[in-house]
Amino acid sequence: MDFATIMQYAGWPLIKIVILLIPVFTVVAYMVWFERRLLAFFQSRLGPNRVGPLGLIQPIADGLKLFLKEDLVPMNSRPFLFKIAPIFAFFPAFVGFAIVSWALPWVTPSGKVHPFVVADVDLGILFVLALSSLSIFGIILAGWSSGSKYPLFGSLRSASQMLAYEVPMTLSVVAVVLLAGSFRLSDIVAAQEKLGWYYLFPGILAFGVYLVSAVAESNRVPFDLPEGESEIIGFHTEYSGMRFAWYFVGEYANVTLISVLGTTMFLGGYDIPFVNDAALYAAHPELTSVLGVCAFAAKAALFAVFFIWIRATWPRYRYDQLLKIGWIVLLPIALANLVLVALLKLWLLR
Amino acid sequence: MNAAARFIKMVTFWELLKGMAITSRFVAKPKVTELYPDVRPVLPYRTKGRLHVEIETCISCRMCEKACPEGCIKVFQPSKEVFKTDKRPVEFYISQEHCLHCGMCVDACPTGSIHHSQEFEMAIYNPDDLLFDKETLPYDLDIKRFRWNFIENVPVKK
Ligand code: SF4
Ligand code: SF4
Repeated sequence: MDFATIMQYAGWPLIKIVILLIPVFTVVAYMVWFERRLLAFFQSRLGPNRVGPLGLIQPIADGLKLFLKEDLVPMNSRPFLFKIAPIFAFFPAFVGFAIVSWALPWVTPSGKVHPFVVADVDLGILFVLALSSLSIFGIILAGWSSGSKYPLFGSLRSASQMLAYEVPMTLSVVAVVLLAGSFRLSDIVAAQEKLGWYYLFPGILAFGVYLVSAVAESNRVPFDLPEGESEIIGFHTEYSGMRFAWYFVGEYANVTLISVLGTTMFLGGYDIPFVNDAALYAAHPELTSVLGVCAFAAKAALFAVFFIWIRATWPRYRYDQLLKIGWIVLLPIALANLVLVALLKLWLLR
Repeated sequence: MNAAARFIKMVTFWELLKGMAITSRFVAKPKVTELYPDVRPVLPYRTKGRLHVEIETCISCRMCEKACPEGCIKVFQPSKEVFKTDKRPVEFYISQEHCLHCGMCVDACPTGSIHHSQEFEMAIYNPDDLLFDKETLPYDLDIKRFRWNFIENVPVKK
């Protein structure tokens, strides 16, 4: 094994992971700040504005506070499972970022192509969906191992909710895959560029289904039954300190991932709106990559603002209503949409 | 027509969108949060803050001392000889530590010498710091008097 091989299989991916994780962690941390600020603005408040200018150091202060808190393990819990459960919630959300393609590849002067992605997996979307199903283990284990009934009920609610919304979400993603003809995220973006339309328009139903089930998947208002911050008791009742922070960060990472994936699938990913990307890329490749990342971030921010907006507006659904929406409304819509998209693909978009 | 309108409202989630439109209006509205240490709050005129005493107008009648349910005021009258000409108290103690800010003393004072101020930041490290005597008693003529029963003392807004 020579140096180049090691670099290719271990070195470059590791460097890319580090380069990716630093901004992702920052974005996730500042998402919390952004949500608190914006939510406050919706409620005629100002939100956290004391720590640093505009409260920008608030996430660091929060993290420090949670880090220094006592790590309590309840007496009649299962300590081992109780301790590893947060990892299940935390880890899948971050691994999902590995397959996201952030911009058009960067070509070095010597002709080497560096794609802006850690792992451009063929079955990228399937990989993310599989991982996001894994995160339910974190919730169920947390509820079960806490040794208390309230977290157990919280985690059971969460389990049925995630089952109910995993299916429509997958079906809405399948519609996109059908339109693009590939599971690979960079291919999906390329297909949208080629079509000239973002999949928001041919797949408007799929977009709606994805949006609703994405909110439900990430356990946010109006589907935040597993947590139920204000009234009912959620699955992480017994957690404190850093382990609670893992759930918290995992949730926000999930929201970020869902925004990013939704952007890639329905809003054209790193495609710069109103600009012919291919022509620009031929002329200024670096500029296109940088602008592409900016466009990507701006579109994903739209998703984030939307999520916060609905959190500020809508009340929580009752449990039976939630399951009804999942199984009786979203699932048939997603299935019908699948047929529609297939016909569309067959006749119009060939 | 009605059914069609209802159907359109249903598929466009009209009520939910209406709610979002309402909340979005609040983003640009002025906020109700008070930025307390940076921006001083404007307190109502009748705020019952820390007691201020104008020793110059006090006649050492000890009405406030009698009226106080907590017994936190102690007034020492001057000697009889002095009292004939100078009625100001020799010593005037207020233990603000026990004060209820009830305003009984303010009501009782015949001259309006003792009155509430707008000061409300009385957090200190040593409780003894809240024991005021004649010298340390906050005394500020700029602070307008307020007495519950003397309505003419309330300044008219110009
Ligand atoms: S405000 Fe009430 S408690 Fe305080 S000194 Fe006056 S009478 Fe006493
Ligand atoms: S009631 Fe008024 S005048 Fe009489 S001692 Fe108290 S402060 Fe002075």
